[in-house]
Amino acid sequence: MSQPISHISENQQIILEARGLTKVFGGLVAVNNISFTVYQDEIFGLIGPNGAGKTTLFNLITAMLPASSGELFYQGARISRLCCHQIAGVGIARTFQNIRLFGELSVLENVIIARHLHIKSNLLTGILGLSLSVSEEKKSQEKALELLELIGLSDRSTEKAQNLAYGDQRRLEIARALALEPKILLLDEPAAGMNPSEKKQLSQFIRNIRSLFNLTIILIEHHVPLVMELCDRIAVLDFGELIALGTPAIIRNDPVVIEAYLGS
Amino acid sequence: MADFFSTYGSLIVSMVLGSLLGLSLYLPLMAGQLSLASPGFYAIGGYIAAILSTKVLTSSNHLFPLPLLLLEMLIAGIVCGLLGIAVGIPTLRLRGIYLAIATIAFVEVLRVVSLNLEITGGAVGIFGIPQPFTHPISYLWIALPLLILSMILFYRLERIRTGRAFIAIREDELAAGAMGINPTHYKILAFALGACLAGIVGAISAHFLNTWNARQGTFDASIIYLTFVLIGGSRTFLGSVLGGMVFTALPEVLRNLSQINGLPDWLAHFLQDGRLIIFGVLIVIGTIFFPQGLVTPHLLSRIASSNITSRKSSKK
Repeated sequence: MSQPISHISENQQIILEARGLTKVFGGLVAVNNISFTVYQDEIFGLIGPNGAGKTTLFNLITAMLPASSGELFYQGARISRLCCHQIAGVGIARTFQNIRLFGELSVLENVIIARHLHIKSNLLTGILGLSLSVSEEKKSQEKALELLELIGLSDRSTEKAQNLAYGDQRRLEIARALALEPKILLLDEPAAGMNPSEKKQLSQFIRNIRSLFNLTIILIEHHVPLVMELCDRIAVLDFGELIALGTPAIIRNDPVVIEAYLGS
Repeated sequence: MADFFSTYGSLIVSMVLGSLLGLSLYLPLMAGQLSLASPGFYAIGGYIAAILSTKVLTSSNHLFPLPLLLLEMLIAGIVCGLLGIAVGIPTLRLRGIYLAIATIAFVEVLRVVSLNLEITGGAVGIFGIPQPFTHPISYLWIALPLLILSMILFYRLERIRTGRAFIAIREDELAAGAMGINPTHYKILAFALGACLAGIVGAISAHFLNTWNARQGTFDASIIYLTFVLIGGSRTFLGSVLGGMVFTALPEVLRNLSQINGLPDWLAHFLQDGRLIIFGVLIVIGTIFFPQGLVTPHLLSRIASSNITSRKSSKK
């Protein structure tokens, strides 16, 4: 299962940088002074035991939670003061660990909603049905159908999202995030609840979408073999602290990581 | 036929106005915001029309000129829309039941203010609001086109970017934000649009009822409009339209029922005066058994598909 990684060279362009990110809930330090950089086009893994602060870190990056301190930079520009919808506008899209689809709406509508930022028409031009807005609507529908094709759900586009099987819902969340045309895609446990063969397909799928859409991908995953095989670099969190960061080969043999996972 | 219209003319107009008020409550609800502020904006719209037509835009004609009524509706709509933005910015920081409470407070504040201001006629209110028509049924010339226009706009709204943003916020505000939708912006927009519509309906109602006072647009009205939407259907605008019609007519139906001979006295009284109790019970029953109301998108799509199949079979 080994395959050549390291297309990441030293002078790779930095797309996302965290400096001293910290989040405190009452007395609990969920994320403690974490700094790291993510390079353009890489698949960056985030692992760690339960409660290590991985999802909290995602919530800080996407501004769903305000950071207690620390800063975030996207291609050199500070984004740590933005609201969550502005982060989406910058080009950072995410999926959720506990699936957050618009369950009552159809599969297609879920994806079309995420085209929000790519439709210019406003209330007035939309309601009047001016030709520009009509063509925009048509285009966004086509785009959404393309994405459904990609994840293999195009024949179920009229179904309610909540009626899909669990794995399909996870893939629909990815399609919805891709509809934003992001530069960075954050995947929160994309393989959760999938069987081994689905997991294998998933890692191929993630590589595919990276090259198709020129994405940088940051993913949280518990399934260690998947992360080791898929990621270019891996960051390990434990009790809110970054305890290791490096290529899978380095991480696998790091004594601190082994201790965090297996106990001393 | 003429007989029917002279008996039920007022009721038919009231039903159309009821639908429009249901729609004004449905708008913020479309973006997931339970706001009971519509009666407040309805009252303001009514006062604007009442004051303008009795004090400012007075005309010597026997009938109040129709263009002036349209002008009043325009002014009421704009004023209430702007006021909706001003009220919406602070109150929409609240969620769920807290927003509902804040909007009830808004309605109550308006009631007390209008009871005590001189320009609103204090407790007596404003009388003798001029009539643009000779018969109440003629108000349909204004109300019905407005309802049809609103329904077309709502039909479009559910299919464009803005409407989808509303619905996304209703379904999951956090996920909507992650999709680049600015929740605050769209919540205020939905609230202000609802306020604007309520104001316009208020302006028509002031003329229609001939008098306007602090008893228009109170907490009672909030509950009644809420029944329109919750029982009619809160997931499609058609639910609010039908709910508005049915529940505006219901008290009249009950009144007729109470006049049936041989009913025990208490039951007749209850049917006549207990409409708020009945509406309250309906809300409770409705939310338990029909959480999305009686007219749901699912029901509509079933009707549509059965129409298609019956058409196909009739062709054979």
